[in-house]
Amino acid sequence: MLSALLRIGWKKLWTLFFVSVISFAVIHLAPGQPSQIDPLNPRFTPEQLERYRKAFDLDLPYHVQYVRFYRKLFTGELRAFKDSQPVLPKIVERFWNSFPLFLVGTVLIWCYAFPLGIASAIRRNSLFDKVTTVIVFALISVPGFYLAYLLIIFVVQTFHVDVIGLRTFGREGVAAPLRLMDRTWHLVLPSVLGATAGIAVLSRYVRSQMLEVINSDYVRTARAKGLGEDTVLYKHALRNALLPFVTMLGLLVPALIGGSVIIETIFAWPGIGRLGYEAVLSRDYPIVISLNFIAAVLTLLGTLLSDVLYMVADPRIRLEAE
Amino acid sequence: MATLTESRPSEVTVSPSRIAWRFFLRNRTAVAGMLACVVFFVVAVLGLVLTKGESPVLNPRQVRLADKFKPPLSLPNPQAVPAEDLPRLGIYLLGTDDLGRDVFARMLEGAYVSLLVGFVAVGIAVAIGITLGGIAGYYGRVRIGVGRLRLMTWDTLIAGLIDVFLSFPSFFLILTVVAVLKPSIWNIMVVIGFTSWTGTARFVRAEILALREQDFVQAAHALGVPGPQIILRHLIPNAIAPVLVSATLGIAYAILTEAGLSFLGFGVPPPDATWGNILSDGKNFLFDASWLTVIPGTAILIVVLAFNLFGEGLREAFNPKLRQL
Repeated sequence: MLSALLRIGWKKLWTLFFVSVISFAVIHLAPGQPSQIDPLNPRFTPEQLERYRKAFDLDLPYHVQYVRFYRKLFTGELRAFKDSQPVLPKIVERFWNSFPLFLVGTVLIWCYAFPLGIASAIRRNSLFDKVTTVIVFALISVPGFYLAYLLIIFVVQTFHVDVIGLRTFGREGVAAPLRLMDRTWHLVLPSVLGATAGIAVLSRYVRSQMLEVINSDYVRTARAKGLGEDTVLYKHALRNALLPFVTMLGLLVPALIGGSVIIETIFAWPGIGRLGYEAVLSRDYPIVISLNFIAAVLTLLGTLLSDVLYMVADPRIRLEAE
Repeated sequence: MATLTESRPSEVTVSPSRIAWRFFLRNRTAVAGMLACVVFFVVAVLGLVLTKGESPVLNPRQVRLADKFKPPLSLPNPQAVPAEDLPRLGIYLLGTDDLGRDVFARMLEGAYVSLLVGFVAVGIAVAIGITLGGIAGYYGRVRIGVGRLRLMTWDTLIAGLIDVFLSFPSFFLILTVVAVLKPSIWNIMVVIGFTSWTGTARFVRAEILALREQDFVQAAHALGVPGPQIILRHLIPNAIAPVLVSATLGIAYAILTEAGLSFLGFGVPPPDATWGNILSDGKNFLFDASWLTVIPGTAILIVVLAFNLFGEGLREAFNPKLRQL
């Protein structure tokens, strides 16, 4: 058990190292020499270049740049171009704003994807399966912002509530239940939209995983020895079908953060995705580059957690390690 | 696959792809998706023929300010618009936008540009995926290192690289790179391609691991065929099914990603029209000219849906574990 844990940790450390190298390499995609500046490119002027070279120590050798970049990031010396605030606390603050969205989104994904996928697999090729297949693929295929606009118009016209932002502006004095109601309405749409693609993709994985398991020999054996259909499906098949999804827990993180860029921009939600988009718009490179790194680190923590859970849940992994 | 020939003694040789194809044709939603993809190809080629060149048949860039915001199926105003600027069809089939440009011609041009973005991005992703997946599958156990020091196997290295790319929020990484570089149609294609190869690499690796021990590969090895040639000539053609599946799904992903980038203002820059930038321009007039949003939005939905259903049908047909009922 311990040796397996150490091995997982060692692997994650390597991944972390490469993640840090790639995040750092993104800095060098931008033109770094004054001679590379295109006078017609309004996005990158000589003044900006000077600032850029100074912030990322572009005059030093690469390995020194690399070390200094991460030292500056963690000591708070790396500051945003826009307001000269340290980058890391800024990102952490915005992350906590996004956290309710991520949490509700994840809960929605898990609560809907599994029943949908399992029901589709059990009734394969039924009308229910076909209808959910098309609906699920429509949800994967619709551009997120198009769906968002349609939903906003629908909700605002039907329920006459305000849905943009964290809360309705100028309603600070009202009673607590009303305030809670207001917060909830503002939370519903962005988290539902953040979850739709996840629900759709995950339910397809659940469906195909469940189908593979239903076709396997041990399920046939369970049926052959006369067990009831419910016992076969939910006790023998489902448990094995669900196992691989423990590892997908961590991989939800990048999808949520990437998706939050568009959703938080539409809903004016002051979270991590909007911070990233604002930073991209104003060429605030310290924030953009750190944000990529932080998001990848969060994913790594998520996958580390799910790898450990997988080991706890699946004795085969445990035994193989020993 | 041998079991199937045993159960059908009348047909002595049925190739696995023939079986898969037969299974695919029974899946009606997947066939509908494939037909829609074919229609989209035809429309995109028509778009290239009709809207490109010096004097295109349908000019997507013709500005007619007098005829702006005309709803679909409305007639042009011959008094206000010069005769040579009138639409060739004599009618605005899908209406006009805020500059009086013919939405029908723009959608045709957009079909071609969107498909181009999808194809080039997927081409890059598939090329990287096949190379890395092939190396990881065939040379997986060979150790690499500097000098005498053998650090890790190829498999560990490539699996690690895939882990690294899966850790980044790909949409934000794409946005970052597009923002740092100049936004141009080629940069967008390359960036989407470079960030979406992980799926192909994983599929190809798994397929080649299974094929590697088979007799024909051993035979080629014994004959002294060099490794790269075995991968390219013998292994990849046999592993083409998963590549096809991930390519189909990849085109859908690339079209959606381009639309998302357009929404944020970092998509394919004008004057090239893509469905993504028609949609994101149109949303500004959602209440006054809803067709500018609904037409490209629905078109993207249908085409991406078609590619997804087609790809999913292929995936099911080529996976023997999912095939048996």
